[in-house]
Amino acid sequence: MIRLENTSLRYEQGRDVLSRVNLDIPAGAFRFLTGPSGAGKTSLLKLIFLAHAPSEGRITLMGEDVTTASRKKRALLRRQIGVVFQDFRLVEHLSIYDNVTLPLRIAGQKPASWHDNAVELLNWVGLGAHLDALPETLSGGEKQRAAIARAVITRPQIIIADEPTGNVDPQMGERLVRLLVELNKMGTTIVIATHDRHLWENFDFPRLHLEGGIVQQIAQNSEVGHERA
Amino acid sequence: MSEHKPPQLLPPKSLAGPALSAVTMVMCFLACLALGCAVLADRAADRWLVRATSAMSVQIVETARLSAEEQLPAVMRELRATPGIGTINQLSRDDLVALLEPWLGTGNIGDDMPLPLLIEITALPGEVISAQALNAQLRAVAPGARLDTHGQWRETLEATARALTLFAGIVLTMVTLATATVILFATRAGLLANVEILNVLHQIGAQDSYISRRFEGHFVRTVALAGVGGLVFAVLFFYALGALVAEARDEAFLIMLLPVPLAAILLSWQVTRRYVLQRLKAQI
Repeated sequence: MIRLENTSLRYEQGRDVLSRVNLDIPAGAFRFLTGPSGAGKTSLLKLIFLAHAPSEGRITLMGEDVTTASRKKRALLRRQIGVVFQDFRLVEHLSIYDNVTLPLRIAGQKPASWHDNAVELLNWVGLGAHLDALPETLSGGEKQRAAIARAVITRPQIIIADEPTGNVDPQMGERLVRLLVELNKMGTTIVIATHDRHLWENFDFPRLHLEGGIVQQIAQNSEVGHERA
Repeated sequence: MSEHKPPQLLPPKSLAGPALSAVTMVMCFLACLALGCAVLADRAADRWLVRATSAMSVQIVETARLSAEEQLPAVMRELRATPGIGTINQLSRDDLVALLEPWLGTGNIGDDMPLPLLIEITALPGEVISAQALNAQLRAVAPGARLDTHGQWRETLEATARALTLFAGIVLTMVTLATATVILFATRAGLLANVEILNVLHQIGAQDSYISRRFEGHFVRTVALAGVGGLVFAVLFFYALGALVAEARDEAFLIMLLPVPLAAILLSWQVTRRYVLQRLKAQI
């Protein structure tokens, strides 16, 4: 599902942020991505959610080599990848409903075809009573649930979360990860970058540890989630 | 949830509004003025040129052997025999005195002062008289006759008309450049003010053209409204000018100003589109 082969990333003329990284995450997997600050976790995620192109190496997503995909193709591929950020990145002047349904509008789908599903999704993440609310009126946990709803509304095959619990209290953090676990049960591949030790200790999933440009897979207590071959 | 209106992805307040409208309106007004004045001046010059080229005069002065009066019958015969000439009018001595008085002063032209004979001729409508050939014919029958074609006036008029057209062209070019620059800066400010939203749109799969259309829509709407405003002011101006130049109220003339706001819309669309696409490729 997600494969990086000898992949490096360099910004402008600077040094390599990632150097010859190898990574293989099967479809339907759930992985935590850990590592010290500055190890390049966010950069690695940016490569996976196609915010950046690698300076060398090869990236394969959903069975497709995306290393040299055109801008247009990359935009279309991003629609199949949901992303959740620590700082939510909701559009402040849009209501929660409009924020969550934004990916569908961008994909050119007609509101009549998704309105009911969107409302159902917002109810599922506990925001059914806040459809018309602006993000600034919501708590951190509510904003992050809205961000998760936006990430999943197109039923992406992959969800990438970069420190999704960083701006919420520990209880809310656990609730958010449980939401992602539910999505993983439905077959979505999930990668969560986190530095929160309690999180990866409380959830029974392998983690990928990035340090010194090397990704090391550390298995947790039991078998690997809901992976498919 | 009530019937939902599609959201405006870029907050209107984050994009140039009243300032851009005001500048674009002034620019369109100036462009209409430049275009309109150039057209009016060009048409006036055309009319003057037609008058100047259709009217000529024949001057007869005495020579060593013949007086002006002695040469007159031969000149008149030659003129009447020349095809294309509509009217032939010999000016009286009083007419000549009246023409000279502004330069020589009233009462300073005595009866004994020798004056040349002057004959005004005009061409029939649509007829072109070869001045060179006619002059040669007249000189053959009357050595003291000389055809004056007002060539100097015509050249001055033509040069003035060319200068006015060039001036209008320069004004239009400068107005176009200024408008394009203003739109460019407004678009750049809009991109900077909305960089976070652009990143979100980009991340959730929006293509460059989709993002660009948000900006194009805003700026084209703004410029269209301002352009129409500028056009309305220009029409009012020319309508008022119609008190002096009747043609300025002519419907066909006023319709000629319509391309100005249309050109402004096209300009804003292209400037915005090209700039946004270029910046998106460079930044995201």
